[in-house]
Amino acid sequence: MNVKEINLFYTPKDRLRMTLGESQSWHTVKPAWASPLNHPNHYLALLNGKSEEIVMLPDPTELPASSWAALQPELNRRYLTAQVEKITDASGEFGATYWHVVTDRGERDFVTQSLQENVQWLGIGHLLLTDVDGNRFEIRDVEALDARSKGLIERII
Amino acid sequence: MSAVSPSLAPGDENSDHQKIINLSEPLIRLEADFDGSVRFGKRVLELFSDRINVLENGATEFTIPLTEVRSARNEPVVGGGRLELITTSGEIVPIITYSMTVSAKFSEVARGIEQLAKGEPLLINVKTERLRCANCNRLLPERNGVCPACVHRGKTMMRIAGYLKPYRKQAIGMAGLSIVTTFLSLVPPRIQGLLLDNVLLAQRDLGMLWRLMVVWALALLLSSLVQIANGRLIAFLAGSLASDLRASVYRAIEFLQLGFFDKKQVGAIASRVTQDTDRVWGFLVEGVPFLLINTLLMVGVAVYLFLINPVLAAAVLAPLPVVGLMSMVFWQPVSHMFHRVGQKWARFHTQLNESLTGIRVVKAFAKEDHEFDKFRTRNLELRKAGMEADSFWYTIFGAMTFFTSLGQLICWSVGGWMVYRHHLSVGQFWMANMYLMLLYGPLQWFAQVNSWFSRAMAGADRIFEIIDTEAEPYGDADKHVDISGEVTFENVRFGYDKSNPVLKGLTFTAKKGEMIGLVGKSGAGKSTTINLLCRFYEPDAGEIRIDGIDYREIALQDLRHQIGVVLQEPFLFNGTIAENIAYGAPGANLEQIMAAAKAANAHNFILAKPDGYDSMVGEKGAKLSGGERQRVSIARAILHDPKILILDEATSSVDVETERQIQDALQHLIAGRTTFAIAHRLSTLRNADRLIVLDKGAIAEIGSHAELMAKEGVFYNLVKSQSALNEIVGEFAAVGA
Repeated sequence: MNVKEINLFYTPKDRLRMTLGESQSWHTVKPAWASPLNHPNHYLALLNGKSEEIVMLPDPTELPASSWAALQPELNRRYLTAQVEKITDASGEFGATYWHVVTDRGERDFVTQSLQENVQWLGIGHLLLTDVDGNRFEIRDVEALDARSKGLIERII
Repeated sequence: MSAVSPSLAPGDENSDHQKIINLSEPLIRLEADFDGSVRFGKRVLELFSDRINVLENGATEFTIPLTEVRSARNEPVVGGGRLELITTSGEIVPIITYSMTVSAKFSEVARGIEQLAKGEPLLINVKTERLRCANCNRLLPERNGVCPACVHRGKTMMRIAGYLKPYRKQAIGMAGLSIVTTFLSLVPPRIQGLLLDNVLLAQRDLGMLWRLMVVWALALLLSSLVQIANGRLIAFLAGSLASDLRASVYRAIEFLQLGFFDKKQVGAIASRVTQDTDRVWGFLVEGVPFLLINTLLMVGVAVYLFLINPVLAAAVLAPLPVVGLMSMVFWQPVSHMFHRVGQKWARFHTQLNESLTGIRVVKAFAKEDHEFDKFRTRNLELRKAGMEADSFWYTIFGAMTFFTSLGQLICWSVGGWMVYRHHLSVGQFWMANMYLMLLYGPLQWFAQVNSWFSRAMAGADRIFEIIDTEAEPYGDADKHVDISGEVTFENVRFGYDKSNPVLKGLTFTAKKGEMIGLVGKSGAGKSTTINLLCRFYEPDAGEIRIDGIDYREIALQDLRHQIGVVLQEPFLFNGTIAENIAYGAPGANLEQIMAAAKAANAHNFILAKPDGYDSMVGEKGAKLSGGERQRVSIARAILHDPKILILDEATSSVDVETERQIQDALQHLIAGRTTFAIAHRLSTLRNADRLIVLDKGAIAEIGSHAELMAKEGVFYNLVKSQSALNEIVGEFAAVGA
């Protein structure tokens, strides 16, 4: 499949559709990252309405610019994992840890329990926090955070 | 549950329409925690009897009339969900995005929208949940749960103290003995002081020496006796309280609804029985008396010091606040660091455990070096954390020692000077010195007591949380209903997670004595149907009737006594084969047990064991083979003599020959009982009277296998797809054709 021929667009306004050149058309397309945690921004699968793979894009930025741009709002709606930019507060009491963070989606309070299970090191400096409801907060690089945030992580985890 | 008919609202197209609607309140109003651009914020869904409104910042973003909506669904996305409407023209319109925190409620609303769109009454229940503590506004770890930070410590304390009630006398005795101990510990320094002043240095009264020694000896004797008595009381109280607490927690856990066990790991639940109860009784038995003794001791000593000499007392007590302050300030980071060491140990253990358990795989893939790398990483982490914690601790400890020793230095400087100047006798100086030593022990103890207390209270809360969790509705245990075995499902709906219904309106009737096969792909709802039948869960909507009565009216244990279950992985308890067969019918004699075993084709293999029916099955039945375990469990079900029998993949984990034997055994079991059988191998169901084919939580087909094969529908395709994989099914298909 020629990546350059993939055309993604919304018709009507909320339905992501796809055509391949002049020959093929899919009336519902769902994007899905194959390895969102370990290979962020790479390996994006496009699925049809039955959740079967149409194509796997090792580097989705190779898509025509308009298609890549069209994907953004849908990806934003499908991946609610927030990227933590700053930890304003974190305190542990009685097995629960209370966090207040600033993320790429705004500020948020959340609680985690049993850090052992809900704090996952995905790589060096790469953290994934899961709160009591299953919401996820990702820190791609702990070292890139400010000193206070780093200090809080060091103390809690 | 709210039941609002959409016909209550005006639905005709007159000119006042808009106005009247605006006056009407929304039936449901629900707040999502993401805004339109999918940032954390607020977006509100309002469901009216005729339309759906979405608001942001108080302004209506858009409105869709329900007449344009065909259905609604919760589309799960990563970390949350979004509500999508399917319009009458077939378009999918995503209208609102939300996090996992509220997704269950939105999924419920999706059902409500469907009900309204179909013109049915609104039959959903969106409860408001408390996400934050009403008191301190902290987020709650569990919805509607207790806030660990501000549970009423006093209240919890009183509740724990309630466990002391049966041992009131012993508890009071312990308190009394504690006071005696405190006073007795003040005696020797006093005697030493008198000795110095009246015998050694001044009056040289030898008679007094002997008198004082007798008092000292008596005090010593009494103190030892009191300590022995106290120790024995503590042992008694500790043992009794610990076992009472464990028993009440375990008993509460036993009666909890199965839903509770789905959410928590067995280990976590077990730790409430062991660890949490440990913390609580530990605090009650070892904490509370010391709290009493140490408080008394500190107050007593301080008062005594001031009585001896106020100036000296003030001087020697001066470093005390510093020590107290240091203990309080540094306790937190120190305990944090040691906590971290504990966590590193846990990770280290997990790693070690995993690589040792998987040693065959490690060797087979020649991954020894790789595993050692992982091990080394954990080991280094542990080293680092341990070194940091210990270094910090010794530093703090050193500093504290300086200040505690400073007290002595001051005592000797000020006291020495006062003795030299005859402001103080040597004996008084000696007493002050001894009392000072008694003081610093309790002080360090007090620095830790707060965190100890907190942990005990948190443990107590977790215990009470279980005790207070609603138990299964067991019903009137005395009422007995004789079930004959007709089972009716009527429009039964159910989902483990309310946001994701598994059964979507199941209706069927199984006649008395009929064998029903439940067929369908995995996830179709077969096991869920069984779970509901056993009343491990209750339907969210609809009714299950047994012999025409709602099964919730039958006492739970009575119902389950008359239902027998044979599972894919039969669970046997550690004990003898005979005990396991008699599990559901205690009191059965060996002849009855043997009859059941014969019917289950188990008799012969049991006799071949050296100890026959007295053979131990091992933990979880590990000493028996899979087929043997299964036949023992069938014998167990036969002896249990249920009216309704459930076979959940009873033969899927054994080879063909064993399966034949088990099938044969099952025939004895099934006779005369209403039977529900789930089997992946469709051949297993060849004896079923009727098959119910489930697809995505709804009934796709019902009929005998011959009928279903002739119909060439869902079942036919299932058989075909299996026969491609499996010869046995091919044989079955031939029978069916």
